Amino acid sequence: MKDLPTSLFPALLVGLPVLFATLSLFFRTRGKALVGLTGCLLTAGLSLIAFVEVTQRGTVIHILGGWEPPLGILLRMDSLAAVFIGMTALVGVFISLYAWRYFRAQEATTGGFPLFWPLWLFLWAGLNGLFLSNDLFNLFVTIEVIGICAVALAVLSGKSGALFAGLRYLLAAITGSMAYLFGVALLYGSTGTLDLGLLGQVLEPGTTTTFALLVITLGLMIKMAGFPFHFWLPPAHSSALAPVSALLSALVVKGAFYILLRLWMEVFGVSLTYAAGQLIGLAGAVAVIWGSWQAFMQTSLKLIVAHSSVAQLGYLLMIFPLLILAPGVTAGSADWLSSAWTAGVYQVMSHAFAKASFFLSAGIIIMALGHDRIESLRDLVGHMRITALAIGIAGVSLIGLPPSGGFIAKWMLLKGIFLSGQWWWAPVVLGGSLLTAGYVFMLLRLAFAPAREKEPFRPVPKSLEVCALLLALGSFLIVLPADYLIQFLESSEIFGSGIESIVEGGADGND
Amino acid sequence: MSVLIDSILAILAVYLALQCLLAPRLTQTVFIFFAFGLALALAWVRLGAVDVAITEAAIASGFLGVLFLDALRDFSFTAPNKRENLEAVHDPLSRNDTKSLLLPRLALWLGLGLFLLIALEAVWKIPDGGGLTAAAEALLPESGVEHPVTAVLLNFRAYDTWLEIGVILLGLLAIFAVGGIKLYRKPGVAADDPLLRQVILFFTPVLFLFGAFLLYFGKTGPGGAFQAAVLWGAIGILLHLGGRPVFSVIPRWLGQLLLTVGLVFFLVLGFLLMAGGGALFEYPPAHAGVLILIVETLAAISIAAALTAIFANLNQMKKEEPNEIESTN
Repeated sequence: MKDLPTSLFPALLVGLPVLFATLSLFFRTRGKALVGLTGCLLTAGLSLIAFVEVTQRGTVIHILGGWEPPLGILLRMDSLAAVFIGMTALVGVFISLYAWRYFRAQEATTGGFPLFWPLWLFLWAGLNGLFLSNDLFNLFVTIEVIGICAVALAVLSGKSGALFAGLRYLLAAITGSMAYLFGVALLYGSTGTLDLGLLGQVLEPGTTTTFALLVITLGLMIKMAGFPFHFWLPPAHSSALAPVSALLSALVVKGAFYILLRLWMEVFGVSLTYAAGQLIGLAGAVAVIWGSWQAFMQTSLKLIVAHSSVAQLGYLLMIFPLLILAPGVTAGSADWLSSAWTAGVYQVMSHAFAKASFFLSAGIIIMALGHDRIESLRDLVGHMRITALAIGIAGVSLIGLPPSGGFIAKWMLLKGIFLSGQWWWAPVVLGGSLLTAGYVFMLLRLAFAPAREKEPFRPVPKSLEVCALLLALGSFLIVLPADYLIQFLESSEIFGSGIESIVEGGADGND
Repeated sequence: MSVLIDSILAILAVYLALQCLLAPRLTQTVFIFFAFGLALALAWVRLGAVDVAITEAAIASGFLGVLFLDALRDFSFTAPNKRENLEAVHDPLSRNDTKSLLLPRLALWLGLGLFLLIALEAVWKIPDGGGLTAAAEALLPESGVEHPVTAVLLNFRAYDTWLEIGVILLGLLAIFAVGGIKLYRKPGVAADDPLLRQVILFFTPVLFLFGAFLLYFGKTGPGGAFQAAVLWGAIGILLHLGGRPVFSVIPRWLGQLLLTVGLVFFLVLGFLLMAGGGALFEYPPAHAGVLILIVETLAAISIAAALTAIFANLNQMKKEEPNEIESTN
């Protein structure tokens, strides 16, 4: 890995947002927002340039301090990292624009939440750092940065509900971090290296490795709200401010999933069994059904959307059983691996766009109504056409109807499921989609229903509605470059890889 | 002999941890937590990690303890009549009425016990991986400092340390996020307690000098920015308690500069080194020693400022509670 071309972009992608975050601290409300927004736009631009750089030159690295691993830390931007960074930039820039207008509109009553900007920029730096990191301990530090920013953003509104939910979120996040750190300590103690590439080569199967796998997986499952550790997500995500909910749901939870994917595929191959894959897949399957059902039962819009996140994250866990091959199957003969990977990446992207759009729409509705009880959505179409359209489009992507990004994700997942012969997952995918259709159509039915009172909606800035709509459209537009994107992703070593499972030695803990 | 000391320390640490959890009153919990931190610090010394020991004693036991004491004081101020209830929460006797919870609790304990056993086995069976000590020692001459821990923190893995400095600033921002920015207020009344004034007069120079010593000594031995910062932060806390809150006296921009200078200088230096053709945080070996000292000093200033601000803000946040009973203060 040391021979790969060097680039400055990985370092800049982490440094630039931090620079603007600290710079914004020097200004008062309006100035903070302006500096913050500038920082967001520049970071997004830089991310896209870096993305192009990776398409041109392939995987690039940055050896921090000039010290090569195992002693030093190496940042690695391969095509998978580039796609995640690009997604963060696209989703992030729309949420930033929305946030700017949203807080501006409420400045008189709320003070404009100036702290949003430094926290969000730090969060962005942490996410970029996480996607780029190739070092087990450095990943922990980025998790910490992301965790603190996420909790601080979640309580920004200062309401008591948000504080309660935020405290829960903090405790869950810390528990997750500590479990992860314990695993890191065990691995460092037994191998003497923290670099992911080197770890993958030298790690030996054994009790310590298996236990490290167990605690790290537990920690990351808590972080990404995988079933049964999803309890903190709905209250925290639904009680935060609208742009914050969008950030937390669209981007933050994906960070933990990204690490989980990288570590399982690149490091823990020696310890993973077929059963471990089935177990985590089961957790995902239960999350899909349980989360969708819970979403169906809610009566407030933000809670519906938050519970739906639990379900949509479940789909991500369901790709793991496909990536771990049954004993006797080799990676060469497993033709479903590419489908499973495509499903994972597209699920991440389509959920990021659709869910961000959904939460932003919810923010618009709260702004217009003062609350988000869904029976008040009546005649939304008549009064706020753009928002209604955004909800409809984002909802279609969540269900997985063609031609949305969600459709590619679910279609590829089903394809992988049938090709691998693990047919028992198929009803879950279909059932989840049906339940999702249930709550999305429930919302749309209300939106088209005639209003009971006159002029229920207060006017809301059009630009907010446009931001939400563009994000919703994004979850469809990502389908257009699908061929090109898959081809690009295949240049990454990890994309399309599977784990040939070992016959004995167990990672059969309860995830 | 050393086995005896180690065993006593190990038993003491576990005993204090259990006591900390089981103590019937919050006050006791906090004080046992102090003792627990010191026992851990001693354990770190025994393990040969003096740097960690100092940090453990200073931050985990000292600074956290101060925050806990502050919180404890505020509990007793804000709800004097609810004090009994508050302390009864930890009373084991009051749990008897929840018989229905017996089974889940038993399962939880069993599960935790099993987890602990497996964890012990996993730790026990760690194969000897060697670690990176040898690699760090080998490259020490090029790092600009003579102490391997400082070399790792400020040079080999400077990126992690830079992010950690950011984490401390983020801790402060998170407190702002919960309570709004109330840091910059007019100075309070100066303390009229002669003892407190003498303590401040005596300790301020001593803490400052000792912090500076630890900072500079970090080049060759255990010490460095984080340890120095806690001592300097203690100055800020003392001044605050003495009625001279630092951040209210100095101009707003200076306060912000103090809080951010460590992080920003570190990053800008990294960018400049990058512009010079190197990687982020790649010091030229000839100047590494000086650059590291500057980075450490500024980092220590920022961390000290952040710790002071965290304390000051938490301390003031409670004073603004409307139901506050001033007479008890």
